This record gives sequence, C-alpha cells and structure tokens, in this order.
Amino acid sequence: MRGLVIGIAGASSDGITAAGESLINAFAQEGYFATLSTNPGTQIRGGDVFCRVRVSTDPVLNSGGLLDLAVVLDWENFSQLSGELSVGPETVVVYDRRSGLTASALPLGGVRPAAAVAVPVAEIAIHAGAPTQARESVVLGLLSAWLRLPQKRVLEALVSRHKAGGDPSPKTYQKAFADAVAYAKEHPLGRAIALDPAAPPEGKRRVADGNEMCARAALFSGCKFFSGYPITPASEIMQYLQREIWKYGGSCLQAEDEIAAAAAVIGASYAGTKAMTATSGPGFSLQTEVLGLASAVELPMVCVNVQRGGPSTGMPTTQEQADLFAATFSSHGDTVRPVLAPTSVADSFDVTVEAFNIAEQYQTPVVVLTDRELAQCKAVLEPIEPSQFRVVDRLEPTKAELKRYARFQITDAGISPISHPGMRGGNYLAAGLEHDEKGAPTASGEIHAQMTRKRLNKLNPLKLRKDLFLFEGDLDAHIGLVSWGNVSGIAREAVRMARAKGVKVKLLVPRLLYPVAETIYEDFFATLRRCVVVEQSHQGQLHRLLRMWTQTPREFMSVSKSGANRITPEEIVRLIQAMEQPATDRFRSHYCDLLNVI
Amino acid sequence: MISADSGNRVGPKSCRCSAKDFGNELKPKWCPGCGDFGVMNALYRALASVGRPPHEIAFVSGIGCSSRIPEYTTAYGFNSLHGRALPIAQGIKMAHPELLVLVAGGDADAFSIGGGHFPHAVRRNPDLTYLVMDNQVMGQSDGQVSPTSAKGAKSRGSTQGSLEAPINPVLYALAYGAHFVAQGIPADLDGLSKLIEEAIRFPGFAFINIQSPCITFGDPDMQVLVQKTRMKKLKTEGHDPADRAAAMELAQASGDVLYTGVFYKNPNPPPSYGSLIASRQRTPALEPSDALA
Ligand SMILES: Cc1ncc(C[n+]2csc(CCOP(=O)(O)OP(=O)(O)O)c2C)c(N)n1
Ligand code: SF4
Ligand SMILES: [Mg+2]
Repeated sequence: MRGLVIGIAGASSDGITAAGESLINAFAQEGYFATLSTNPGTQIRGGDVFCRVRVSTDPVLNSGGLLDLAVVLDWENFSQLSGELSVGPETVVVYDRRSGLTASALPLGGVRPAAAVAVPVAEIAIHAGAPTQARESVVLGLLSAWLRLPQKRVLEALVSRHKAGGDPSPKTYQKAFADAVAYAKEHPLGRAIALDPAAPPEGKRRVADGNEMCARAALFSGCKFFSGYPITPASEIMQYLQREIWKYGGSCLQAEDEIAAAAAVIGASYAGTKAMTATSGPGFSLQTEVLGLASAVELPMVCVNVQRGGPSTGMPTTQEQADLFAATFSSHGDTVRPVLAPTSVADSFDVTVEAFNIAEQYQTPVVVLTDRELAQCKAVLEPIEPSQFRVVDRLEPTKAELKRYARFQITDAGISPISHPGMRGGNYLAAGLEHDEKGAPTASGEIHAQMTRKRLNKLNPLKLRKDLFLFEGDLDAHIGLVSWGNVSGIAREAVRMARAKGVKVKLLVPRLLYPVAETIYEDFFATLRRCVVVEQSHQGQLHRLLRMWTQTPREFMSVSKSGANRITPEEIVRLIQAMEQPATDRFRSHYCDLLNVI
Repeated sequence: MISADSGNRVGPKSCRCSAKDFGNELKPKWCPGCGDFGVMNALYRALASVGRPPHEIAFVSGIGCSSRIPEYTTAYGFNSLHGRALPIAQGIKMAHPELLVLVAGGDADAFSIGGGHFPHAVRRNPDLTYLVMDNQVMGQSDGQVSPTSAKGAKSRGSTQGSLEAPINPVLYALAYGAHFVAQGIPADLDGLSKLIEEAIRFPGFAFINIQSPCITFGDPDMQVLVQKTRMKKLKTEGHDPADRAAAMELAQASGDVLYTGVFYKNPNPPPSYGSLIASRQRTPALEPSDALA
C-alpha cells in the first residue's frame, strides 16, 4: 500500500492547494487512491502554502509519514512545516533554483536526503510569459512527467481552474506546463519516483473531505435543519449545508453563537425534525448545557465536534484527539450520551448516518467526534451504495397511544413514543426539570431514580454493537493495539506492515467510544498479554476511559503524542516490535523518548 | 392550509376554543398575588380569540418563576434552559412554520443570561410572540437584582443595593428595530389579553414587555393595585403606534411613567423570516439519496 508521499511547499501566492487538487483529481480519474492534506486557507502562515498528497493503488489509510518527494518553492515555509512535511534519508528533494542554494547547503535540519535536485521553476514560468505565480503550473508539469500521469487530465484541471478564476489567458499557464513537461523529460529524476499502474476504477469515485461527507450524510439521513456558528475546522459543514439544505426542503441558521445553534437544533428536533449542529472544541464547550437538556427531555440531536488542538483557541488548524473527555463527560447530572468517531474520510459518512440513527432510535443527543485531519483531508472515495444503509426514524405514538398519551412512559426498552407539536393528542411539556411519565415536573426522588434508570438503560443495547468496531490482525495474538479516529488509519497500516514482517498482532478500532462497550473490549483483551492504546492526546484519553470501564490486560499502556505531532506508521511498527520484547522496563524506556508514554 | 409565514397571524378561527381549553388542572406554583397569574389568564383569553387549537401551539420558555407558564397551558410546552427560549423557539418555527410559536420568560432570562439572543431574534424577524414578564428581580433564584432593577434597588440577594443602571426593554427593542413593541400589565387584564392577541396576529417578531409584579421580592410601587392607579394608556394619551420616533421618545420615561399599550407597530411590516426561508426552499424537494449524487 505504501505508494508515494509527495509534499509541496511554496509561498502563499503559489497556488499550492490548487496544485494538490489537480493532482488528486487526476489520480482519482486514473484509478489511484489518494489523500490530500492542505492547510486550510486564511488563518495561518499566510494562507495556502503547502499540500501533502499520498497516492497508492490501494485505498489510502492515512496521509503517511516521511516524504518520498519534497517539492520546495519556499524554504522558509518549508522549514516551518517540518511537522507536516518531514524529509528522511529516502526523500528526493526538488527545489526552485531561484533560491540560489547548493544541494549541500539545503536547510534540512541535518537530514541527508537521497537526492537534491535544483530545477529552474520560476525561470520556466517567466520564460513562458506567465507570471511567477504560475510556478504551480510548472510543478504540475514536472510531476506529471516524472510520475507519468496523463498530462491531459492534469492540464484540464489546471486550465478550468484558471478560467474559473477569470484569468483571460490560460495560454501562458499551458505553455509553462508544457515547457515543464519537456524539461522533466530531459532531466529524469536520478532516483526513480514511479507509481505502479492503477486498475481503471469501477463506478464513479468521488474526491471529498470528511466535512463534506459528514454534511452529505446529514442530508442522506433526512436532516432538515442545521444550525452552527463558524469555527475552524468545522465551518465547511455549515457552508456546505447553507448551500444545499434548502434544496432538500430544509433550512439552515447561522446562529449568533454556538449556544443558540444547539438550542435551535433542539427546538427543531422538538418540532419533529432531524437536526444537527457542528462545531469544534471551544463551541462544543458552550453547547454542553443544551446537550444535557436533550438527554433530559429525550430529544434526538446530532452534534459534530471536529477536534482541533486545545485547550482554548489552542492550535486551531492542527490535529488532536483531546476532546474525548469533554464529549463523554461534559454534562451536569447523571447522564450518558453516545459518542461516535469516524475512522477515515469515507467513514465520516457512515458514522454520521449512524449518529442520526442512534439519536432517533434512542431519543438522545449523539456526539460525532471527528478531527481536523479527517475533516479537511480530501480523499478518493469509492462510490457509496445507498441501499447499504438503513435510515431510522423516531418512534411516533399510534392513534390509540395518543388517546392516553404519556410522553415519557416507562417501557421495557426505555424508549417511549415521541409526539411533536401539530400532532393532536400528543401535547406534552418538555421540561428540563425532572418529570414524571406525563412530563409534569416533580421533586420525587423515586421518580428521579426511575427516570434516570430509563434514560441510561435504554442505551445499553449499543454496547453490543460489534458493527461499530473495526478489527484487524491475528485473533489469538498476545500483543494488541487499540486506536481511534484518524490515528486508527495509521495503526491499521502499521499492523499490516508488522504482520508482513511475521509479527502476530491485532488491532481494535472503536467507532463507538461511549458508552464503553465493556464486553467487546474484554473479548478482544482475552488473548492479550500486552496492549497499547495509540492516540493523539497527551493524557491518552481513551486509555484512561478504558481503565475506568473495562478489565484491562495486565500490561495496558498508553502511547500517545499531543496534537500537531504526526504519528507515523513506521513509529507504530517499531512500537509493535518493542512490544514483542519480554522486559517491560526496556519497552517503556524505549518508547519514552519516541512517544509520550504514560 | 395556512401559508408558511402566517403561523401566528391566523385568519378565521380554526377551533372553537374558550379560555378554559387552554388551562389545565395543575395548580401554579406561584406565590399568591404574583403578577404571573394575571398574565396566564390574559394569555388564555387571547388564545381563545385567536382560535388555534392547543396542539398547534408550541409554547417555549426559559427558567424562572415566569418561565413555568407553559406548564399551566394545554399547548405543547417546552420549559427549557435559562436564557435559551428564543433560539429554541426559532428552531421550532424554522422546522415547523405552520405552528403558532409563543415564547415567554423573565427579565433575567431575557436580558441577562439570554440577552445576547434578543437582538438577533429581532433582526431575523421570525413570526414569534415574545412575552417578557418583567418583575425587576430574579424571582425564582431568591430575589437577586436583575438587569431591569433600578439603580440602588435593594433585594434579599443584594442587600446593599444595585450599583448598575437598568436596561430599558422597550427602548432596547425599538432600537434594535423590532416591528411590534408593546407594554402591558396584568392589572389591566382586558388590555393585556387584547395586546397579546394583537401581537400574535402581527406577522413577524412581536415583543410585549409585561410589568408582572413579584409580590415576594418586588418593588411595592409595582404591585398590581398600585399599577392600576399608575398606568397611562398610550391610546388615551393620543400616541400614534405607527410613529416610531414618538414611541422612542415615550419609552424614555420607563421607570417614571407606566405606559401600557402598543408603542410601535410597523404599518408595513417587512416579510417575516419564515417567508424568506420558504422562498429559498426548493419544491419539489430533492430526495435524501440525492445527497450521494
Ligand atoms: C444556567 C443557569 N444559571 C442559573 C440558574 C439559576 N436561576 C434559575 S431562575 C434564575 C433567575 C430567574 O429570573 P427571571 O428570569 O427574571 O425570572 P423570574 O423568576 O423573576 O420570573 C436563575 C438565576 C439556572 N437555572 N441556569
Ligand atoms: S417569587 Fe415573585 S415572581 Fe416568583 S412566584 Fe413568587 S411572586 Fe411570583
Ligand atoms: Mg424576573
């Protein structure tokens, strides 16, 4: 699956994000799988200054570790991006000759790349009569020749983008591109950077990011109301729905703050409509009171939290998985709300559909914990077959039930039919105050205990949902990993790499994080002598959550890095190899320097 | 079928309801003599003349003594969170425009914890009726000062007296651009029920500041019997409710003169939020599976 990892860094005027998009679209059309990570627009370091593309003939599980090919148009930005674009001894570095640097003097922090090649990028652009900003066209020309990509496809994407941008003369860009192709043919890369040919795709593949898939899933689930407040890296969900939801007969409200957004969502749900909000950490903090209300009045709602580095404003454009505690615990009172996490861009669709289903079926708020990497990373996705999904709607009272309606009726499953305004006979009071079966506020301790039991027990069937877990590896392995969210894609690749080297290991990836499915974990733990939870938060939040709820294996450790520090498949492979060693102390000390072991 | 933006502006009566049909058997948990009883009775009467059946009404409130009012009606009620009634009501109205949506709450609910939501509700202009039961204290939480308490006002929760100047709800609503702004008192039950009815029939966001006295913690000068002697009907004073500038002038006297009636009612109200939304929505709508196209 390894494929190629390409990183491009430039100045903000270089159109680097657009170049990455041309590449991923061309790869998709050719039948490759790929991911594209960029930095999201406006907020930092002067805008779109880098992209990272990983391409392979197999589905890409993560955006990879060290670069195979680094294209550097701006050394200052490149150096600042060493977390995202790291160079190793196998990397080929291609850079604009205009920098005047010699190959031996490149600022690579002491790393000696496999090759360093100076190319007259700016000169080719200027010679073609294009502005220096057309360096993007030159890079695309070079790459399509070196990677043997169909030039027509790459060029088409380039030209249509310049047309859309209102550029009067795409000719100069085309010439820059063609000249770059010619240059690349005359100067083949010393070390082969080549791709295996891909099989032509079956069906129409889509290029999309996790935010888009989440928004599409909402529409697919029948969501007719969205409300949110802009925040990186979640805003694209609102932007997508603000454009699309009207076409489905729904509506969208850009609220005055996240509290109002969540409140409007619970209002829409009370009115009988499927509804969603999306935010990131700071906004999520504001919404927790409303989520508590939704638990109390048993109203379905979906809240997407696209995690970013925190606390507070933290690192808004970087990846972290540190809102798990907030998602599970930040409510007052004795309550549980389901928390789900997608494991890939594609899974953002599946998990969001599941979130709506769980919300509707169990009349509960559901939190979808995605993360900045999944949300804003584009990927080539297989076509989705709608009939694969079931869509659940809330249980409504029958005519007979409406005659003697009790909104919060105690039932065996804890789920009571739910009416909405407009339904004759279904009139009830939804009160955040504790209430009896009819909804009347009460101060009775007995009723409080009974209602608390109802609200908690109704969620128990979720803990048996094996389909909300992914499993990979050897059933009877003695060593195992648990990982979640975007990091699970890294763990999955690492497990495959380790098994290819003959190591017996297995991996469990929960998509349901809360309530904790004790028996599913304990079945997985049964063969394990040593288990490590791999995740991206300093505290290792899932590790701690599992210690709280499950009988863990004797050696149960956390290997985690705080946000913005890329975890690579190679690191996890080394971790797995170390896990095979007998001595715990050595295992620990080995990993203390590499990762943050608690 | 009622058109999307006219949920609160009902034409002919769609039910033969009397005031009794809107009350239930629950005994309100208000102190005897609390102004909120009068507001409740005025509301029943207004709803009876509007003529929408209880199941077509969604009545949202925040938290506070006043916010318990939906509990004592037969409509669909939502006694929600302190300060969040307005955004919840807007979600309901956007999702289900045919409903008659009422919102109620106290002065702290509206102008303290929920203060940030008020201007946005006004500028969106959804077809909602908002009844603020202004008693110049936080009744439920034990009589602390509220944003409408007079400067220097002492209370059980603020024995040294408020250091802060009060908000003027009527002026505030006018300044934000509300198209229907009125003030009522439970002492004038008849006048209040007519005001509520007029507000419900107004096509857009309608705000009534109701001086609803708290007998337990409130200002003796604001109690029901005193209110009766103090009130000045805007109509009798010759005020033209189409005159926004005059309304703002009169509203300055808040605290000194107790005006009741309509301060301002836009004679040419702009399209409500609901009708703007309806015009964006596509008919026939796409199918959910089109999201995968
Ligand atoms: C988030 C939150 N903070 C504080 C409270 C406590 N609290 C309940 S009612 C209230 C004040 C209510 O005052 P007002 O809105 O004027 O209503 P009144 O009781 O006077 O009718 C407060 C502070 C609460 N319920 N929720
Ligand atoms: S405390 Fe005041 S506002 Fe609350 S019920 Fe009693 S009189 Fe009414
Ligand atoms: Mg009050």
